[in-house]
Amino acid sequence: MSQTTASMPGATKEHAPERRPKASRPRLRRRHVTGLIFAAPLIVYLLLFYAYPLAVNVSMSLRRFTRATYVTGEAPFAGADIYKEVLASPQFWPTVEQTAIFVVVSLVFQYTIGLALAVFFYRNFPLSTVLRGLFLVPWLLPIIVSATTWQWMMDADNGILNRFLGLFGVDPIWWLNADNSLWAVIIANIWLGIPFNLVILYSGLQNISKDLYEAAELDGAGPWRRFWSITFPLLRPVTAITLLLGFVYTLKVVDIIWIMTTGTGKSQTLATWAYGMAFGKGTSAVIKYSQASVVGTILLVIALVMGLVYLAVQRREED
Amino acid sequence: MRTTPKVRRATGIVFATVVATSLAACGGGSAGSSSSGSASTAVTQIGFWDPYPQYDDSSDWAKYVQACAPSGATIKRTTAPNTDLINNLTTAVREDNAPDVVFLDNPAVPEASASGLLAPLDTVGIAAGDADANLAGPGTVDGKTYGVPIGANTLGLYYNEDILKKAGIDPSAITDWASLNAALEKVTKAGDKGITFAGVPGEEGTFQFLPWFWGAGANLKDIGSSQAVQAGQLVSDWVAKGYAPKSAITDNQSASWDQFLTGKYAFAENGSWFAKAAAAEKFPIKMMPIPSATGGAAPVPTGGEFGVVPVHKDNSAGHYAAAKHVIDCLLGSDKQITTDNMLGYFTANKTTRAQQIAAEPVYAPWTDAINGAQGRTTDLGTDYLTTSAALSKAEQAALNASGDQAKVAEAFKVAAQEAKG
Repeated sequence: MSQTTASMPGATKEHAPERRPKASRPRLRRRHVTGLIFAAPLIVYLLLFYAYPLAVNVSMSLRRFTRATYVTGEAPFAGADIYKEVLASPQFWPTVEQTAIFVVVSLVFQYTIGLALAVFFYRNFPLSTVLRGLFLVPWLLPIIVSATTWQWMMDADNGILNRFLGLFGVDPIWWLNADNSLWAVIIANIWLGIPFNLVILYSGLQNISKDLYEAAELDGAGPWRRFWSITFPLLRPVTAITLLLGFVYTLKVVDIIWIMTTGTGKSQTLATWAYGMAFGKGTSAVIKYSQASVVGTILLVIALVMGLVYLAVQRREED
Repeated sequence: MRTTPKVRRATGIVFATVVATSLAACGGGSAGSSSSGSASTAVTQIGFWDPYPQYDDSSDWAKYVQACAPSGATIKRTTAPNTDLINNLTTAVREDNAPDVVFLDNPAVPEASASGLLAPLDTVGIAAGDADANLAGPGTVDGKTYGVPIGANTLGLYYNEDILKKAGIDPSAITDWASLNAALEKVTKAGDKGITFAGVPGEEGTFQFLPWFWGAGANLKDIGSSQAVQAGQLVSDWVAKGYAPKSAITDNQSASWDQFLTGKYAFAENGSWFAKAAAAEKFPIKMMPIPSATGGAAPVPTGGEFGVVPVHKDNSAGHYAAAKHVIDCLLGSDKQITTDNMLGYFTANKTTRAQQIAAEPVYAPWTDAINGAQGRTTDLGTDYLTTSAALSKAEQAALNASGDQAKVAEAFKVAAQEAKG
């Protein structure tokens, strides 16, 4: 190869570093064109279904949309005005706070309870497979069924939850009130998310070698010590992916909140707010598509940040 | 990771593509090409949308609609809930494959016409008709008529005769809010429950709140007035004292009716479309007009859909001819009584309504209510939706406040500001 470069016009010195990249560019193109061709379908798919909707969403948030826009196509350019309006709206920061509480509390409890159950099922006992299967029911039920049932159970006057609490002498709580609605949907969401965490953490536990546990037991480590020193650290990669997936999913949850409370009161999150504004659902039938696009863009940025955090954590794991 | 020339190039390509597509999106967004209507060809499959998903294809209503197809054509009927219908219509008009006739909820008609979704009746060639002024109001925007009322319904106060008798209450003595509240107190003391209504967020909740709002003397142009606060306090106190169920904040009219049908509630604020079903219930259900604050019947809002004709670009003449045929067939003055009886509505014209009521004695108590019912969008037009949203929020806050007067007052003050912009 070097002999051919030496004989090509213009490549007088083989050793000159600045010339070599020029001479080797044709080689680069040949080798990598095939690679690009293989990657082309994926790149086209990503451009069509990821890059293009993303670009359209951002452009929508910069223009004023009304219902008439769908017919006439007129959407005057508004620049950053719509962003300023949404960020200055009195609802914005409370909604962000509510979203943060919803996501963090849901994740913490889903993960903890899922992990506890996974550890519990780790020791296979008779009927443990059946029981584990039953724990998947929240995941399998259609959300309309679960959400309506939760709404019924949380009825302030006749709901089963209040009757149960009444057995312990607790006064009936108005669960779907504006103030309590956030906690009501968090409880329902935790119930919904436990199976996912259980399944993934259970399979993560299977990958931990039993020899480690035997060795620890021989050294005299009790069950708690074994959990904190062996199980939990070795589960870190699985934990990271479970929490990332859970975060991104919970951030955009609309259905469970919408069916239970239509996102009223404190149960308003960024996702339900965007949904209500985009389609004129809930309290207001006025379409506020631009503002919804702004909130959607903000959600995207939050999810992106979390994704980058995950990549950083994963890189630390690999080092 | 090191950025090799290859990576830099790939990143550059992706970035350039993203920028190019976003510029294309910024510059584009034009509506579909407008092909001026070709020579009018008769439409063979006529699209018809209505918000009655409870009537499926095997129901009498579906067959009745099918019978209105002109010879050589069939009617394809699609249903969707009211809240979805206008969104579906928007997408359909944009794609220029809208149906020929839509039954659209009346408060949505000004918004639909202002957004360019509807064809004025003059263009379609339909005569304005003989509907009463108070019922036809929502269909006229800026002097142009866009729709024909299919009929009307309104709200009344149903009551369980047995429960009132047991508590020793005379129904005819309930003429204002004070007597109503006294009756509610008596009924709850006797061990039964008070009143059910729909406080669900959105237009349905506002619809149910309006008799109390108007009954207090408030006006939709100023929803922060002290009368508005009075109305809010009324419903707030009901929740606080346990006269109304706490689920009122999420109940729609169907759910609140189901609660009334359990037989445990004394009163139910609900619509005339339940009048016939109510007469067939196990316990005796009667109806009285909703009382206003100081005495007499409160003004009640008109419910009911309008027959509207979506805009068509391609073959508009053919589509409008089909629409005219179907609307005349379903809503012509001689067909109104049949159509409205099928849906449980009153006719939109006083004379035919009198005939309708004479034929069905169960409708008799509703005569005054429907004759005096008011349109919601008549004063505000397209601004109604913003006002309705603000009012719904205020009512939700009032119900949640559960009697707290400061919170109720604050809720309506905020609502007044929201309604303005």
